[in-house]
Amino acid sequence: MGIASTEIRRISSTQPRLSVAAEVSGSLVSRAADPAGDGTLPVLPALRELLPRGALARGTVVTVAEFGLLILALAAGASAAGAWCGIAGVPEASVLAAAGLGLDAERTLLVPDPGHAWPQVVASLLDGCELVLLRPPAQAPPLGAQVRQRLEATLRRGRGVLLVVGDWPGAQVRLRVLTQGWTGLGDGHGRLRACCAQVTAGGRGEAAATRTRWLWLPAEDGGVSTAEPPGIPVPERRLQAVRAG
Amino acid sequence: MVLCCTGLRTAREFDRVLTALTAFCPAVEAVEPGVCAFGARGPARYFGGETALASRIIAAVAESGIESGIGVADGLFAARLAARTAGEAGATHPVLVIPPGGTPEFLARQPVSVLAGPETTVGQATARQATVGQATVRQATVRQATAGPEAAAGQDLVGPDLVALLSRLGLRTLGDLAALPADDVASRFGAVGETVHRLARGLGSRPLAVRPPAGDLSVAQEFDPPESLAEPVVFAAKTLAERMLQGLADRGLTCVRIQVRAVCADGRESRRLWRHDGLLSAAALADRVRWQLDGWRPPTENPDRDADDGITVLRLIPDQVVHATGHQLALWGETVVSDRVARAAMRVQAMLGHEAVLRPALGGGRDVADRVNDVPFGEKREPRLAAGPPWPGQIMGAAPGVVYPFAREADVTDEAGEAVTVTGRCVLSAAPAWLAADGGEPLRITGWAGPWPLSERWWDPAAARRRARFQLLTGDGRAWLAAVQGSRWLIEAGYW
Repeated sequence: MGIASTEIRRISSTQPRLSVAAEVSGSLVSRAADPAGDGTLPVLPALRELLPRGALARGTVVTVAEFGLLILALAAGASAAGAWCGIAGVPEASVLAAAGLGLDAERTLLVPDPGHAWPQVVASLLDGCELVLLRPPAQAPPLGAQVRQRLEATLRRGRGVLLVVGDWPGAQVRLRVLTQGWTGLGDGHGRLRACCAQVTAGGRGEAAATRTRWLWLPAEDGGVSTAEPPGIPVPERRLQAVRAG
Repeated sequence: MVLCCTGLRTAREFDRVLTALTAFCPAVEAVEPGVCAFGARGPARYFGGETALASRIIAAVAESGIESGIGVADGLFAARLAARTAGEAGATHPVLVIPPGGTPEFLARQPVSVLAGPETTVGQATARQATVGQATVRQATVRQATAGPEAAAGQDLVGPDLVALLSRLGLRTLGDLAALPADDVASRFGAVGETVHRLARGLGSRPLAVRPPAGDLSVAQEFDPPESLAEPVVFAAKTLAERMLQGLADRGLTCVRIQVRAVCADGRESRRLWRHDGLLSAAALADRVRWQLDGWRPPTENPDRDADDGITVLRLIPDQVVHATGHQLALWGETVVSDRVARAAMRVQAMLGHEAVLRPALGGGRDVADRVNDVPFGEKREPRLAAGPPWPGQIMGAAPGVVYPFAREADVTDEAGEAVTVTGRCVLSAAPAWLAADGGEPLRITGWAGPWPLSERWWDPAAARRRARFQLLTGDGRAWLAAVQGSRWLIEAGYW
């Protein structure tokens, strides 16, 4: 449970050294999430080329077409740098995989089912977390423009980043996985080792130019790295068919 | 007055007896498991005599399904003997009252063997009673060793050796023993003999060591007329919280959690536990009350709505009270949940419930789903299975990005369209060729590996699972973690 700053002061009146330590560590954490101080949240090095300023701009909405490792990787960089991350509406999000990519499970809040009041839930989460990963509930009515604008205002005020699974009309950056292929799995043998994915990013404003990159998502070591273009594996069976032909 | 219960099975049952007793007399001493003592004079006067009081108590205890006997005498030792006699299976009446001054006479009739405990007295006792008796003797011995015979007066304090010796000397009853001069008994048997002699004469009774009833640490405020606006309630909550924290601090206590209970005029009640850990100020507690009320009742647009809606009682109850030992923050290595995050999480909890906001804890386990345990925000983050020991049977390699909370049904077929089956010895009927998840469009399987058998927790029928797991690669570039369990295909996770 958290310790209110006032409480820290209250305790610290008798233990002055403690308070300095707590305040120093607190300021370290808050600064760590924004090392450049230019209003961005850092991302993993391999993803920098996909984003307009090489990072997630605060106060913006970034969408990823489908839930998967890509959006978890986007969140992982900021989380590893000290930001709190809220995941709302994605009960199947695998924290294990996200932790492998760099997400800090200690600083993660999960709201698997935000229910029909999800805009309020997201607004509350944005008050506390710098990064919120959201998949709007499917059965909910389509988001009205007014609610959306109010959420975006909260986002800008809180200097957070909203990662949305699916579509969001005012999104600054949109990413999607075009193709992907796994290596390591044969016909009855082997195991999944790494996945080569082609990711494309577009959007509006400074993100208008479409960028496409090949990524290992995940690489053999569990992280994310850029891949050379022929990195996509050809399934062995198809290869055999070609040979036979 | 001593109450002696027979046939008690658990400490919880005895607890119920004690609770029932406190309705008659707040100061009760639990002498030993199944036996408790209390001063009879006060309550007896109130309830109209000792016999009447005893009958009421027996009825109250019998309501919780426990048989008991009650003895009343001038002293703990005699009262216990009387209660034991009254509680015996063959007793005609469950209450035995020794009139004032009649105690030496009652004791004189008792055989000396009562000094050694009930197992020799109740010759025909059932096995369970005998067990209780043994426990008694052991406990008494310990007390004698640590606190000396004076403190143990009134307990069974002599072993069977002394009893046998007394019998051999021709002292069959306590009366015979009491008739001897005290000096002679003391010189022959020492301090123990002296104590026994005093007991036999009906003296040497010690005062009861009663535990005072626990003070009520909770605080409450009633609102009359019912308060329909949240603000005054929150304002009152701040004062209440100050009072409660002060009350705890005066006793050197703190509590782990605080229960906030609000009762509406129409009888509805909202209870919620908030983590405290000795860290919340009165203002922070008032915030919790506000969030709880916000989440409970949708905000009222019309302030002068039906007054039935108002809150009549607000109560703050400290939960898990512990000694205040102070709190030391870690300098490094501990993620401190900042106030901002805690507020956000608690506001969502107030909206959706305590279980709706979770923090993941990574642990061990053979399954991808087992390795992450979600703990409600504010509770101790601890994985169910430790990550430390090796977990043979884990699927190595990349972790799936999607883990379904409930496994999805699937159909896996071979080239001929027949369902693929796995035998108990992990032999596949054919290579899997098509995967259809949840009855959807079949996907071409372009690569697969497995089966990797897993038989877990066979000793626990509820948790036992026996499965064969596969990794499947489909034509659209996705990979799946599937398992055959009970000859059904399930998709547990997806790699994308």
